[in-house]
Amino acid sequence: MANRLRSTRTPKPSRSKKDVWYKLDLSAIVYPTLQRSDFSSVYRLSVVLKDAIDPVLLQKALEQTLPRFPTYKVAIRKGLFWRYLEPNNRPGPYVMEDIKNPCMPMPFKGNNRYLIRVYYYDSRIALEAHHCLGDGTGGMCLLQTLTASYLGLLGHPIKPEGFVLDTSSTPDPEELEDAYMRYANAQVCPPRPAEKTYRVRGTKEPFYTLNIIDGILSVKEVMAVAKQYDASITEYLNAVLLYALLQKQSSDFHLRLRPVRIAMPVNLRRFFPSKTLRNFITMVYPSIDPRLGEYEFKEIVEHIHHYMRYYINDKFLRGDITTNAATQRNPLIRVVPLFIKDFVVRTFYTKVQDKNSSAGLTNMGALHVPKDMKPYIERFDIYMGQPFSSRTNCAIISFEDILTINFASSIMEADVERFFFRKLVQDGIHVKIESNRNIEPASLREPG
Amino acid sequence: MSYCVNCGVELEASLRECPLCHTPVINPIQLNREFPPSPYPSKKGQVEVVKRKDLGILLSVVLSATSITCFLLNLLVFDASLWSLVVIGCCICLFVFTFPAIFYSKTPIYLSLLADGVSVAVYLFLISFLTSSNRWFWQLGLPIVILLTLCAECFPLLSKFFPLTILSCALCIFVEIPAFCVSLELLIKHILERPYRITWSAVVLTVCVIIDFALITILAKKRLRNEVRRRLHF
Repeated sequence: MANRLRSTRTPKPSRSKKDVWYKLDLSAIVYPTLQRSDFSSVYRLSVVLKDAIDPVLLQKALEQTLPRFPTYKVAIRKGLFWRYLEPNNRPGPYVMEDIKNPCMPMPFKGNNRYLIRVYYYDSRIALEAHHCLGDGTGGMCLLQTLTASYLGLLGHPIKPEGFVLDTSSTPDPEELEDAYMRYANAQVCPPRPAEKTYRVRGTKEPFYTLNIIDGILSVKEVMAVAKQYDASITEYLNAVLLYALLQKQSSDFHLRLRPVRIAMPVNLRRFFPSKTLRNFITMVYPSIDPRLGEYEFKEIVEHIHHYMRYYINDKFLRGDITTNAATQRNPLIRVVPLFIKDFVVRTFYTKVQDKNSSAGLTNMGALHVPKDMKPYIERFDIYMGQPFSSRTNCAIISFEDILTINFASSIMEADVERFFFRKLVQDGIHVKIESNRNIEPASLREPG
Repeated sequence: MSYCVNCGVELEASLRECPLCHTPVINPIQLNREFPPSPYPSKKGQVEVVKRKDLGILLSVVLSATSITCFLLNLLVFDASLWSLVVIGCCICLFVFTFPAIFYSKTPIYLSLLADGVSVAVYLFLISFLTSSNRWFWQLGLPIVILLTLCAECFPLLSKFFPLTILSCALCIFVEIPAFCVSLELLIKHILERPYRITWSAVVLTVCVIIDFALITILAKKRLRNEVRRRLHF
């Protein structure tokens, strides 16, 4: 199969576009700094179709689609002061058969310097992208356009609409912009929260392993339950995750309790109009402090509901972007050589930022696809990728009536996931579980 | 359709036990039923090894150029002593030490450690041409290099049989330190032609033996081991 796919290799193109390059956006600056031999900030989006995937057609579709996304057909390079992206005209990327351990590290010089990987397995197409290229929205645009091209090659033409872009059109300059800089104009820089939070401790899995537990739910059921608590689906699921983390903390050995906080990316396109396909997210940190007293679940939902309403609005978010942009705009910081910046950012992230949250949660919300594409799609999945430290990341996405909650972690224990899904079951929601965990029959395992 | 009796969640048909609580899936009516294949692939991916070809070429060129130019300078200009041997030996050491990281990452660890030891021994041998006698090399320099190489080889060898934890590494180090110190003192006594009696290394030996016993006790008792891990985690 590999040979069949490689036969589609294109000759080495000319270097006429050598002068084109892209600065990393405000969020993207951090991700390459955290790159280690065993960690890359890679996320995964996948779509499950109704029929098995033809890899040869998928490769053709990828070759048709990728040139429409110039900021994804790039390689990352080091400058003296900052990293940057430059167009990558090397052969590839090639579609590959899916693997058991998704989101594995992505060396910058590997894969012909491409920072995306496309996998197929049975009826699933999966896209893995380095976060320095773009966020989930940009990735979803690429995945849906790729899927539409693939369906087109199968003889089901899809009309470009929403996330599906026209592959024959030229990219809008706004799609390539660093939208942060356009909106980072608040007159004050609010401080970031910086308090040590509870961290999930567990037995680290061997290198490369990413444990996945997917929960498949009905959107209507979750919505009905969330409504009972006067909350939205995101608020309710946030509260359930906080509740699970609180339970996990109280069941662990601890000398003192710590606040439980979730790092939740917010899509800024909802508040600041932009067509950018690059990163345009900021983090909010809903939290519960158990040192103040024992919280009932209903109280947690109420707390999250009010927190979201208070913080997720254009004013607060603009302030947050301005705080983030202030560092990059500072002329003294700009002239510091890259290796020193790398050292400082990595130290800050490891010592402060990573300890600032107990888990990650992202909700891509209800996905819309063009009307012609709907009949071919079963569901979508999203994985936040390997966590930087031993914790679990939760990503939520819904399509039609299927809501998928994808947990990804690199620790053996699944306590947080267990508390989370049991709470949903207690609330009367039907949950179907899928997992890639290495599960042997009980009879094959050693006793104890 | 199976449900976990503990968690209440429906389990995908290929799951043999609940991934959340490890409760086995048992259908009393169909005890020996066939499980369908998992919806996840079973093939494990490997991160692509990036060839550091450019760095390798650059390093080889720089080291060879340094060695050749220094040798010519020594031969034609500053020819009072064989000083270029020090530079050439240093270049050989650097090349051998960086070989596994830059040129061939699949070099067996035993072989690369042995090569490191040999390169250091060659370096010392080259230096011995600059001294009036090479007795120090054969009686002290070479045995010390052999001892250090053996100590270094012990780590990968032990990791084959025991899990390499902080405690087991500490035990290995505290066994090797007294062995090295005693051998070193005996070698010094030999070169100085004094009677073979250990003095200062006996103090090191005593301290290390006490630490070794403490570590062995901790390693043998699971409760103690967990307590130490909990208190010293970082």
